[in-house]
Amino acid sequence: MRSYAQMVSKRFILKRLLLLIPVLLGVGTLVFAVLHLSPGDPARVILGQRASAQEVADLREGLGLNDPIWIQYLRFLWEAAQFEFGESYKIFQGQTVKSVLVDKLPVTIELALYGQIIGITLGIPLGILSAVKQDSVVDHVTRIGALTGISVPIFWSGPLVILLFATYLDWLPTSGRIGATIFLDDTWMPFTFLPEGFSQQLPWFGGPVVISKATEWPLTGMVTIDTLLLQNWEAFISAGQHLLLPSAVIGIYSMALISRMMRSSMLEVVRQDYMRTARAKGQGAKITIMKHGLRNAFIPVVTVIGIQFGTLLGGAVLTETVFGIGGIGVMLVNAIEVSDYNLVQGTVLTFALLFTLVNLGVDITYSYLDPRIQQ
Amino acid sequence: MSTQTESVETTSRDLVDRLRASPFLSSLLANRLALTGLGIILLMVLIAVYARLFIAGPFGPGLESIISSQLGSAPDKIAPGWTRGEPLTYFFGTDGQARDIYPRVLYGAWLALKFGTITVGASTALGVSLGIVAAYYSDVVDNTIMRTMDVLLAFPSLLLALALVAIFGSGLWKAVIALTLVYTPRFARVVRGAALKVLEDEYIDATVALGAQDPRVLARHVLPNCLAPITVQSTLNFGLAIIDLAALSFLGFGAQAGTPSWGLMLSNGVENGLLNGIWWWSFFPGLFLAITVLGFNLLGDGMRDALDPRMREAVD
Repeated sequence: MRSYAQMVSKRFILKRLLLLIPVLLGVGTLVFAVLHLSPGDPARVILGQRASAQEVADLREGLGLNDPIWIQYLRFLWEAAQFEFGESYKIFQGQTVKSVLVDKLPVTIELALYGQIIGITLGIPLGILSAVKQDSVVDHVTRIGALTGISVPIFWSGPLVILLFATYLDWLPTSGRIGATIFLDDTWMPFTFLPEGFSQQLPWFGGPVVISKATEWPLTGMVTIDTLLLQNWEAFISAGQHLLLPSAVIGIYSMALISRMMRSSMLEVVRQDYMRTARAKGQGAKITIMKHGLRNAFIPVVTVIGIQFGTLLGGAVLTETVFGIGGIGVMLVNAIEVSDYNLVQGTVLTFALLFTLVNLGVDITYSYLDPRIQQ
Repeated sequence: MSTQTESVETTSRDLVDRLRASPFLSSLLANRLALTGLGIILLMVLIAVYARLFIAGPFGPGLESIISSQLGSAPDKIAPGWTRGEPLTYFFGTDGQARDIYPRVLYGAWLALKFGTITVGASTALGVSLGIVAAYYSDVVDNTIMRTMDVLLAFPSLLLALALVAIFGSGLWKAVIALTLVYTPRFARVVRGAALKVLEDEYIDATVALGAQDPRVLARHVLPNCLAPITVQSTLNFGLAIIDLAALSFLGFGAQAGTPSWGLMLSNGVENGLLNGIWWWSFFPGLFLAITVLGFNLLGDGMRDALDPRMREAVD
């Protein structure tokens, strides 16, 4: 029986993976279009307004922009498949887009992760409570609260909480990822090992130095995890304080959606025959809900959590702008402003890839929780 | 005379009966939250029309008065009058160019509702047409349309909007086009699903057997039976469209400088005002934005519950 289920899931996953190919091809085509339909000339963007027409023409030739469009398209797809998007023209001149993305992506993912953790830990209990005590005061407050939560734009609530908690009350820092006196060095690249006894002296800050211990693990680029790996508690606390407001703001948004879905899913499950049967057999109300209700009610919630994670990644553009966090969201906005096309292409493709993979993960989890979906 | 009153009475009684008979409308009307949402939307529509006619229109000082700088003729950066005990002057304060914020925020309602309506209207029209066509013509057409929609759905919505803005350039109208393309797939999906169900019904076979042409079948028989999910999706999307339009303006890709759009006022207030303690530049536009979106979400949520028979049971 079990092996049959496993066989089905393998086929299901394989089918989902195959379906991914046309989608990713389409995504690549759209991202290719970003460069080729945009009004500006990349060569002109790189060289600036003062460059002569000859220089621009030479660079166009060098970049392969004079090749037939289908050759450029195939070349782009081939390079994109290897995650190569060339060098950043403007914002990170001289660095490859790939290295910039490796550097900045963990920042965005970390923020989304904490937001999601807050959303789940608050949203699920509130949704259950709301459903179990349907039409009570708790239920109404939760529902109105949830609807308000998704209606308030982050770029309004964010600045307001900064004003309240950072400026007036002075409990938390206003922006950034870590305290100014705690130094984040360029050598702090994700996925790198630090040599034994590595130490970095700071000529201008008197503050504590983060990178002072050897790590056995490669760093992740996520401040809260790296400071733990480096066992620098002061830096860890500082990083946590910096993350609290932004992740709370996006967490509340996510909580709103999760609690709504949890509530309606729970309400539906409670009415099922097997719940009545369990009660009829003499099982207590609480145990029935915990044992039979929750597991089944969780299924649609998993979908929402997955989709929500993707939305949080997208919302990073706004959150990072408001809270001054240098992830790939804010980088994309800057790249569009200065027409740094390579960077735009790489970032947009990364977002789409992440979003698609999260959705794939959701589908697979879903199929495990509810094997009927595979048929 | 009496017959007229009678007929009015009959029609109103008819209407009430019809409302009662429709489980969708009666459960919607019984939903206080949905009615509150409807109330908020109507209020915002009134504000928008008022602002269009009596502030920026023929009966007021004109659009120029809330767009151009008033430096020299009015005090700049002063707090709302009521915080200083003068409730009647500068109700929402003035901005850095000495413009009165109150009429600007009211006019923002006009801009939000106008561009929101265009965005939602266009994506509904496009998505519904694509969805119905995909459902009706199977295989090649269906696959082509829906796989294209899948690609658009592979991006987080604001990200896709930004990528499209990178192609089109910035501006309110271009933001509208970008968001229209972003929302279209959602409508296409919902409508395709609903239409596939309708197409299984026997009356469709009957209509086709009677010799009706494809466009007639789609427009007269399939579309009307998909209206309910379309309406819910449009209402929920309205709130989203207003937020996303404001977000694009906030990021600097929407409304041009000086335009009294909520997103732009917010971005100016956050960037230049907040840290100097000037909270009113961003507070009021944000408040109006949040309330408007809440209105659409309350109504849309109520509609969805009313459409879902399981939820209706829960209300009983």
